[in-house]
Amino acid sequence: MNRQAGSPGAAVLFLLPFAAAFLVFFVGPTFFGLGMSFFDWEMLSGLPPRWVGGGNYLEALQDARFHRSLLVTGLFVFITVPLNLFASLGLAAGVSALPKRQGVYRSLIYLPVLLNITVASLLWRWFYNTKFGLFNKLLQPWGLELPWLTDPALALPSISLMTVWWTSGVSFLILLTAFQQVSPSLYEAAEIDGATGWQKFRFVSLPQIMPVVGFCLLLEVLSSFKVFGQPFLMTGGGPEGATRVAMQYIYETGFSFFRMGYASALSWISFLLIFCVTLLHRIGSGKGRAGK
Amino acid sequence: MNRRPHPWILEVVVGLCAGLYLLPLLFLGLVSLKPKAEILLFDHILPLRWTMEHYHRLFSNAEVIPIGSWLGNSFLISLFTTMLVVAASSLAAYAISRLQPHWGRWFLVLLAAAMMLPGQVLLVPMYLILNALGWLDSPRALVIPAAAGAFGVFMLTRFFRTIPDELEAAAEIDGCGAWGKFIHVGLPHARSALVALGIITFIGTWNDFLGPLVFLDSIRKYTLPVGLALFQSSYANDYGLLFAASVVSSLPLLVVFVIFQAQIVRGISFTGMKE
Repeated sequence: MNRQAGSPGAAVLFLLPFAAAFLVFFVGPTFFGLGMSFFDWEMLSGLPPRWVGGGNYLEALQDARFHRSLLVTGLFVFITVPLNLFASLGLAAGVSALPKRQGVYRSLIYLPVLLNITVASLLWRWFYNTKFGLFNKLLQPWGLELPWLTDPALALPSISLMTVWWTSGVSFLILLTAFQQVSPSLYEAAEIDGATGWQKFRFVSLPQIMPVVGFCLLLEVLSSFKVFGQPFLMTGGGPEGATRVAMQYIYETGFSFFRMGYASALSWISFLLIFCVTLLHRIGSGKGRAGK
Repeated sequence: MNRRPHPWILEVVVGLCAGLYLLPLLFLGLVSLKPKAEILLFDHILPLRWTMEHYHRLFSNAEVIPIGSWLGNSFLISLFTTMLVVAASSLAAYAISRLQPHWGRWFLVLLAAAMMLPGQVLLVPMYLILNALGWLDSPRALVIPAAAGAFGVFMLTRFFRTIPDELEAAAEIDGCGAWGKFIHVGLPHARSALVALGIITFIGTWNDFLGPLVFLDSIRKYTLPVGLALFQSSYANDYGLLFAASVVSSLPLLVVFVIFQAQIVRGISFTGMKE
């Protein structure tokens, strides 16, 4: 009792470092950015920020390049997330069913996650190189030569494939832990009922880990929406803007053209879009729970 | 029983898939050890002649490729960020969960609401704030704002909550104040979580790309990912050199992973377990 009554001073001191940083580097920039999005602020012009009200948001509504970048981002999410989830779920199910050496496979599949984005992009740019890349070398016997990163239609799927290799270890690890936590007695009961391996996966494991799958889905959608480094380093947004994602457009608006007000408005718009997706997920998973 | 596939069939399938994940990494290492002509031709997977020439070129050219500085910068920034995050998060989490659990709960709700905002919204205003502070192009711009990360606070709060009240009561009888309880009871109790948080923070900082790209300007102050990105554009087709640099920038983390595997796996799984 006296413990709680006696320590408000200490609590404030303990909280201070985090709270101060949180105020200055999170709350501050959030409101600063929101306010800034209503100003025309071209840092290179040397002019002071000028109030334009909703002007930046109106401009964004008519900015075809921004719309294109949102579309490219949406397409990237649409291709990458299902592939990622499929790969990580399949591998997690497979590894968790192994009688031994689970730890070895767990590490091997997780290793690519540890590479930094420059290394991962560099490596795959070499794989994808049209002339002397590994992939076209492998396709040579069939007389094929694919323009992996130089064809507007193929470039984004190529980046997705690299992203699946690079990032699926995260979901895999989370899902594997979930599989391993399914109670063995459930499997034993299913085995007594004569369930096959597939039936055990479909009717025992999957329902148990469904909430975790939903969590991984959300995690992957959110992180895919923020994609920047892979296209920035592998194609620079090309060919013909086919891989210029929203984050790159915001980066260029802010740090190549220094249109700070407009860049802030663009970030808030893309945040609101992501927020809507999160909300949909909330509603969706809420319904799923109610239906059980 | 008889309808179950043999375990070894499953293991072969899993092994092949795991091989697909591992192969690109092996190529990275092998190419960095091949002479230039062999890389372009690429007729054999293993080098016909093993060579360290790319590594020699990499480290004997500090004027053009200051990879030593980048390694040092990456290491120091990751180390200080990790220390700061672990210290700030554990203090805050202890205050929230043990010292003032009543209003701590409200503070957590507030934090959770704030966490909905992704970092990308902050990039532009953060740049301007760091500019106003005069911190741009300095490691401070990357290290100090990291203390505002709420992930560690959430994670550690859960651990501190499981400390038995009797343990703290005993420490109080021994004359421990809030600080003493934190040091002698709280931290040892959450040791595994602290290690996991530290490793996750270290890896995340080591691999961060957007932060150093936007907040740093001079080549010598770059971290490895940004430095490497810069010089990949000037050495676009010198894959031997680029891959040698990639190996140098990846090896430290791979070693850390192999040593601390158990803690890292546990740490990643924390993120997957929602309360």
